[in-house]
Formats: sequence, structure tokens, C-alpha cells
Amino acid sequence: MNDTSAVISLKNVTKQFGKFTAVGNVSLEIPAGQIVGFVGANGAGKTTTIATLLGFLNASQGEVKLFGKAIRPSAAHKSHKQIGYAAGDMELPAQLTGRQYLAFLGRQRKGGVDNYKDLLERFSPQLDKKIHTLSRGNKQKIALVAAFLGEPALVVLDEPTSGLDPVMQEAFLNIVREYKKRGKTVFMSSHYLQEVMDVCDRVLLMSHGKLEQDVTTAQLQAMGGKQVHVQTSYKATKPPKGAESITHQIDDDLLTLRFVYKGDMTELQRWLAAVKQLKDVEVSEYNLEEAFKSLYDSEEQAA
Amino acid sequence: MIRSIYGKTLYDKRFFILGWTIGLAAIAALLVSFYPAMHQDDALGGLVQNMPAAFKGLIGSLADLSRFDTYIASQLFDIRLPLIAGIMAIILGIGLSVADEEKGELRTILSLPIGRTKLLIERWLAMVTILAVTLLGLLAGVYGVVPFIDGATIDMEIMARLVAMTGLMMVAFGTIPFAIGMISGKRAAAMAASVLVIIGSFLLSTFGQAVDWLGNYEKLSLLHYFPAVDIVKDGIDGKDAVVLGGITLVLLVVAIVVFRRRDVA
Repeated sequence: MNDTSAVISLKNVTKQFGKFTAVGNVSLEIPAGQIVGFVGANGAGKTTTIATLLGFLNASQGEVKLFGKAIRPSAAHKSHKQIGYAAGDMELPAQLTGRQYLAFLGRQRKGGVDNYKDLLERFSPQLDKKIHTLSRGNKQKIALVAAFLGEPALVVLDEPTSGLDPVMQEAFLNIVREYKKRGKTVFMSSHYLQEVMDVCDRVLLMSHGKLEQDVTTAQLQAMGGKQVHVQTSYKATKPPKGAESITHQIDDDLLTLRFVYKGDMTELQRWLAAVKQLKDVEVSEYNLEEAFKSLYDSEEQAA
Repeated sequence: MIRSIYGKTLYDKRFFILGWTIGLAAIAALLVSFYPAMHQDDALGGLVQNMPAAFKGLIGSLADLSRFDTYIASQLFDIRLPLIAGIMAIILGIGLSVADEEKGELRTILSLPIGRTKLLIERWLAMVTILAVTLLGLLAGVYGVVPFIDGATIDMEIMARLVAMTGLMMVAFGTIPFAIGMISGKRAAAMAASVLVIIGSFLLSTFGQAVDWLGNYEKLSLLHYFPAVDIVKDGIDGKDAVVLGGITLVLLVVAIVVFRRRDVA
């Protein structure tokens, strides 16, 4: 895909703060109409990537483009006419009411705000209280209404549902689903696998400032398998070929072996039958949520 | 309806405007009401004559107390008002530059289609407007009391000169923290520079006339370019206006250039 057809394009983007590299050599392209989940542990570089994308930060190296145009802090606002943005920890203008803020935002966008009433019905935000008096969840509702107001071509969201109750989370996911049908683009970071799997076409995994995975949700779905837990007094037992996320533990002359197995089940059965002095065995579904958590765990351990 | 960053800033600062306008009006009214006592009090003259030279700088010339225009120039506009209004301008300048960034609101505003230059200029214009409104409060304080004070008359043109130069000086005082805040995004940097300028100016202008070695640096004081009594007697010295305006303009241009490019926290 060439640059002009990509809504978001990052080429070898690096962002350093002094000697610390928050984002290192990240390249990606997101075409129009894609809903992309952006996942990774805290500190992986997701928010820094989003801040660079929106022109809050300068890229130390590389090139950031939105709608085919290079993004620099001095000119980022030109692209923002087509972008909605909300973050879980977003600070809205505290002295304004929600209604005042949304009216102000509508004037800045200078575009249609036809979906204003529809968004208010879906999120039911408290509009007539000063924003600084609202709960986090209510502020978040206003931020989401603001992000989708005027149906911008691209919506960038940084952990958008972190302050929402389940009903509002569902309302948000419905809007994203409708956005998808209308061919709009959404780029959202999230810690919730379920919402990523529900609405996204593609998942990007950041780890230590690098883009480690770029997979479709179908590919991510295939990452499931079996969680195997074996106890044996034969301490030389080796896990089968293809085992992943292996842990060994020896207590009271008993070896406990845990691993994830995604291969042929007949091979697993043969291996289990061959285990000497087998004391206990447990095979359970290794669901996607666990696969997702294991990615996070490896991140945190490395950190 | 709040239509612009300029309008939003004025709205956000409405209580600040109200409080400082009333405060400056009260200070002006109070000092004007002291005029009869000050210009008739011979005992005060004797007291001042016996003061060390450095303290005389704080009081001003006794001759200035005999006429109302030089009285308010020396007792209100010289030293006191620059200090009070300077502190106000610094609080305002810091509030309009770094406070939003510290809270994280600046990113929210910059996520909208609002250019950084436009944001900076509209905020600076809002600061100038706020300073102008508080100056109007000061005028209201003076003219609210003048009709009740014997011998208290002042030529409108003289008052216009004083107010114009006070405004220019307040804008310069406010632009220093505003520009440094916009350039650095750091409250500590804006605060340190502002305190250095205002305290330094106060010390240089107050004690510079009596302490020889300080006198050599008196031109570094911003207050040097606001000689209130001379403005009453001789009019505005164009060079003073150019220096105050020049400081403001240079800082503003540097702030725009840097803020357009820097990272926003």
C-alpha cells in the first residue's frame, strides 16, 4: 500500500526521551476502513506512539503521516479536522460544562455534528455540570462523544473504555462496529482482549517500544491451545516438542511441569502415555485471554 | 457560547478577573483617600528626612506629595502598583502557559484543529485583555474616590499616560512567565525567571539610588522604564515604551517559534 492510501503511516519512527527509547523504529500502515487494536503492557510505548501520531510529540527519527501528509507538531492541527481523539485518562477543560465543551469542539471542527443527539442518547453524559465535578466515567463519556462527534474519518483512542461501566462499554463497541460498516478507521489501544477481539480487524502488539506482532484477529484467535499440567516423580521428564511457555518446579521430589501445547493432540496423548512415574495430569483449554495475559507477563518480567 | 481559545481563556479566568479588578480598585481608592493626610502632614516630612537614603527610595520624594497627580504617581503607580500588578501578571502568565500542560488539558486542546500559533496568540491576547480590565478597575478606584477628596484633580491626559505605561509594563511582566512557560512547559522555570525579574527589579529600583554598586545595574530593572513621576511631569519617554514593548515582542516571537515545535506533555 502506498502512503497516500494509508490513513496512518509510520516509517521507522523512533521517539527518545534523553537516552531512553520509548518507541524504537516502528513502521506500520493502516488503510482506510480498518479497525486496529493496539495492545501491550503499561510502558510498552503505546501512548507515546499515539502522541507522536497526533503531533503532541516530535518523532526523534522517522516519518509520521496521516492521510498522506507528514505530521509535525507545528502543522498537526490541519489533519485534526478529520480526527477524533479520546483517552482513558484524558483531561477535559475543567471549567467548562460538558455541553460548553462539546459546543466549543463543534465550532473548532467546523464540520457537521449531525450525530450529536445520537451520541448523547447512547452515552447519556451529564452535560450541565462543570467537568471538574464529574466522575471519571462521566468525563469519559463526554470524551467519547467528543471523539465521535461529526463522524471524523479517523478516531484515535487510547484505552477508551478504562473508566466505563459494562453498559457504556457495549455502547462504545456498538459505535465502533457501526463505524466499521461505514468504512471509517479506528485506531485504539486497549488492555481488554475481549473488546479488541470483538471489534478489531487487526491487532498490533507493542513491547518495549517495538512493534512485536502485527496480526489479524483471526490469527490471534488461532493462538489458543491446551494448557498442560503434569506431575511426575521422574525428574528427567522433558516436555513434548512444540510446547510453549514452559515452567518447571521441583517440590518434595515431585516435578511439576506446565506448558502450553498447540500441536497435534494425538502427539500429546502419546507423550503423556510415555511419561514415567506420572502422578497427576491436567489438560485444560488455553484460551485467548490467557495467551494475551502471557504476552503481558513476559513484558513485565522483562521490564 | 465560547467560540475560541480567547473566549474560553477569559471565561476560565472570570473569577481571577473579578477578584483582581476589585482588589486593584480597592487599593487605588485607599491610596487616593490618604491624599489629604499625606500632603498636609508636616510630621511625615520630618520623619522621612531622618530616614536612611535607602528607605527614602521606598517613600519617594516629599515634594511629590504636594500635588495630586504626582502624589498618585509616586504613591500608587511608582513601586506599589508595579509590584502588585506585576505579581498579578506573573500569576496570570504562569496560569495561562503551564497550568493546562501540567493538568494534561493542553493535549486535549491540541487534539482539536487548533494551531499552536493561534493557541499561543489567543491566550496572550486574553492575558492582555485581562490586564486591561484590571487596569480599568484601578481607574474606577481612583475616579470613584476623587470627587470626595479636596484638591484631588488630575488631568485625563496625564492619567492616560500613566495607565498606558502601566499597561505596557504589566504586559511585559506577564509575558516573561507566559513566554518561558510556553517555551519550556515547566512551571519552575517560568516561576524562577519571573521572581528573579520582579524581585530584582524591585531591589535595583528601590535601593539602586542609594547603594552605589547597585546603581550601576539599575537599567536592568523593568521598573526603570516606568518612571511614574517623570511620566506625569514630562510625558512618556519613547525609549521606555520601546524597551518594554521590545521585551514583550521578542519574548512573544521566541515563544511562538519554540512552542510550535516542542513536545507537549
